[in-house]
Amino acid sequence: MRKHDPKNGEEPGGASRRDFLRGSGLAAASAVLTGAATTALDEARAADDGPKVLSGEVEITLKVNGEDRKTTVEPRSTLLDTLRNRLDVTGPKRVCDRASCGACTAIVDGDPVYSCTTLAVTCQGKTIETVESFDVGEQGVPHAFHQNDGLMCGYCTPGFVTACKALLDKNPNPTLDEVRRGLDGNICRCGTYIGVLQAALDAAKAMKGA
Amino acid sequence: MDLTWPEKPTLIGTKVPRLDGLAKASGRAKYPSDQLPEGTLFAVMLYSPHAHAKIKTLDVKPAQGMPGVKGVVAIAKEGATLRYQGDDVAAVAAVTEEQARDAARAIKVEYEVLPHVVTEPQAMAPGAPEIVKGGNVRKGRSQDKGKADEELAKADVVVEGKYALPVITHVCLEPHGLTAKWEAADKLTVWSSTQAVQVVAGELAEAFQIPVANVTVLTDYMGGGFGSKFGADVWGRTAAELAKSTGKPVKLFLDRIQEHLAAGNRPSATGTLKLGASKDGKLVGLIAETHGTGGSRGGSNFPLPYVYDVPASSRSHSDVFVNGGGARAMRAPGHPQGCALMEAAMDDLAEKLGIDPVQLRLMNLPPNDPRTPIYEAEVKIGAELIGWTANRKPRGKNGDGPIRKGYGVALHQWGGGGTRDKKVSCTITADGTVELKSATQDLGTGIRTVLAIIAAEVLGLKPTDVVSNIGNSTFPPGQASGGSTTTASMAPPCLDAATKARDALFAKIAPALGATPADLSLKGGRLLIEGKPSISWKDACRKLGTASISEMGATPEGLASTGVGGCQFAEVVVDVETGVVRVKKIVAVQDSGLIIDRLTWDSQVYGGGIMGLNYGLFEERIMDPTTGVMLNPDMELYKLAGATDVPEIVLHAYEPDDQKARGVIGIGEPPTIGTAAAIGNAVSNAIGVRVPEWPMSPRNVLNALAAASKDQEGKA
Repeated sequence: MRKHDPKNGEEPGGASRRDFLRGSGLAAASAVLTGAATTALDEARAADDGPKVLSGEVEITLKVNGEDRKTTVEPRSTLLDTLRNRLDVTGPKRVCDRASCGACTAIVDGDPVYSCTTLAVTCQGKTIETVESFDVGEQGVPHAFHQNDGLMCGYCTPGFVTACKALLDKNPNPTLDEVRRGLDGNICRCGTYIGVLQAALDAAKAMKGA
Repeated sequence: MDLTWPEKPTLIGTKVPRLDGLAKASGRAKYPSDQLPEGTLFAVMLYSPHAHAKIKTLDVKPAQGMPGVKGVVAIAKEGATLRYQGDDVAAVAAVTEEQARDAARAIKVEYEVLPHVVTEPQAMAPGAPEIVKGGNVRKGRSQDKGKADEELAKADVVVEGKYALPVITHVCLEPHGLTAKWEAADKLTVWSSTQAVQVVAGELAEAFQIPVANVTVLTDYMGGGFGSKFGADVWGRTAAELAKSTGKPVKLFLDRIQEHLAAGNRPSATGTLKLGASKDGKLVGLIAETHGTGGSRGGSNFPLPYVYDVPASSRSHSDVFVNGGGARAMRAPGHPQGCALMEAAMDDLAEKLGIDPVQLRLMNLPPNDPRTPIYEAEVKIGAELIGWTANRKPRGKNGDGPIRKGYGVALHQWGGGGTRDKKVSCTITADGTVELKSATQDLGTGIRTVLAIIAAEVLGLKPTDVVSNIGNSTFPPGQASGGSTTTASMAPPCLDAATKARDALFAKIAPALGATPADLSLKGGRLLIEGKPSISWKDACRKLGTASISEMGATPEGLASTGVGGCQFAEVVVDVETGVVRVKKIVAVQDSGLIIDRLTWDSQVYGGGIMGLNYGLFEERIMDPTTGVMLNPDMELYKLAGATDVPEIVLHAYEPDDQKARGVIGIGEPPTIGTAAAIGNAVSNAIGVRVPEWPMSPRNVLNALAAASKDQEGKA
């Protein structure tokens, strides 16, 4: 790991914008600061109080759908690309790749996140849930989408289902307006919203029956 | 006896959830872009950053030495001209996608930047750089019927208007691309996100000079095509080439930017329309001069006049060439443009005549056209569902406050018939399995489920009892999914195959049951002998022993038809201070012959309306004339409706017995045609002035209001 050179007494311990840019601007050995690559960083921090940079290949362990998965990423690798390209977890989809459409939504420590703009190295030690882990029985969100035809081509569907699950976990009794707002971070091109909204309301009812 | 659709179906026309719906909703469905065969390399495209440039030098060597790189190909050659931003230059395959991206960036290209034109005004300006031989504007032959100029001169009322719709892109959520794997030196398997598995197979076989039988194209699922995914494309052939040279499977899907730039778009449409009528509202003539751009390709023409009976018309259209990605078919190619222009002019004419817009439309439907009585019935239903008579006020009479409500209408038409040379096989085995096979593919329209419903209806089973195998180019010939032709092409051979298989099963097992085949029937998962329930389906099949039944269905007469109509109504509210338009309600009335799965039919109509709402309110490809680049090749500034933008949608399937008797007709395209037109008309009804440019964005609405108030000042 490349060590930071704390020239001119730049703010110690923090992620300076200049370091971030310098790191991520490197093409082949792009690097990025991370608050969660804890072990390596903590050790480095003990020896050197400056900001820390990860670069090259980094071995990480991610807790995905209850299972510890070890893999090698680059500091710049997104959670989405790590799931899809390295761990063969392909429920989350890559569509806009910049946090606009929600197809990549995963639940990290209980919150829905755009995995396309979340760095994999920041997810160590966190609980990552993807659509594959959801209950596929009659009480589950996927069933409600299926019954209401809340999908056509289906490519946005895992993202919608995940956002819906995250919404219902926090708000088990949403109104239609709350469902609309809760799912407004997702985009469907086929225009399957009518089925999606009904599915969310039905799933809320079914989950209470569970 | 002629094969007919069952008179009293138990499944056909009901709401049947998709066979693959749970797989899709639970993330288990593996799309082509999800495929990851052992050892897969990731490939990335390098594309032109310039709107128009010549490649002076192209050096891929720096990429070859980069970490993880296994293969590099130059797609463009030195000296070649790149015609748009996003035009293909080279591709790299590497162990990780990050490495492939770095290597693509390391390729050294020296460009000679050429003058560009990226908008129509830029391309049509005097002295504009000529980007195609013969000029940027290619005027087509005028299409004339009667003497429109003479008729308009005699008309009691004439309106003249200029209307325009922008270029929009398909924005398929799954990008274009494929994963390629060579099984042997002359045997290729690809997982392709395509609307036509057999077209892709043919293209790859041709490119690599191998028999098409050695190419297997698999498309179990695909994430949207809308008309833009019929071929392997440059990137598909490149992926296969990289897979061949590296000896590893290669996955290549476009990034979102190139997807917008290079993977298809719906051409723009601009038209000056002069429409005349007698004072009682009968159309007498139309003169229309239109143009549009299909980017670097032509193909921007669209139907006009549209739907209505115009006794005399003169129409000329020009293709305008710009440095932009080529147009591709997009859901009902040409019709949304023709519909919007025609319906805007119709509304403006109604306003000038002082006739209710709905009445003007009903007065001018073509006489002696089988569609006319259908339109009349549909418009009546739609008007009631939106509350036209009760709610709608004349244009500009919607109050003085900042928020104005308005109503609009539009009519549309489409074909939706099928081809007659496609096949479906139906195999029944002794364990009771029923398997259908055909080389068509499910774009999300539901054809996989539609086929299962038909077979289940014939065999007295549940749709989930049927294995509906499609999306494989080696299966019996299947329809390429475009033009709303899939269901009309595939449903008849499916009914034929299932019926033949049932009859063959009866013939085979009747003797063992001491019956004749004519005594046998199937219902509710059981075999009936002379109408009395006997053994179960599985036990009946068990009597096949080691034999199995396999029948190929062809296309008998009379099971499918073509030609649909429909109408849409929109209710909008417009804030005249901010220009923000919200659609409150859409009513869609649609005929399409015999409906097989009402659940997926509804989804198509809802989805068509929402796609039309996007066209009406949000979408436009924004090109920067100065730099020649697209300013919104993304999904935040290229706007699409989210859950809070979607209005109440009321749909009505117009399906009286005489419609059902027509047989199956496609539904994918018609319900998206009229929405943007109806929204445009609703906006002008709300605010009292025509907004001549789509989308109905704050900018275009405020511009129209400003132009109108300037006019007023000028007159004052």
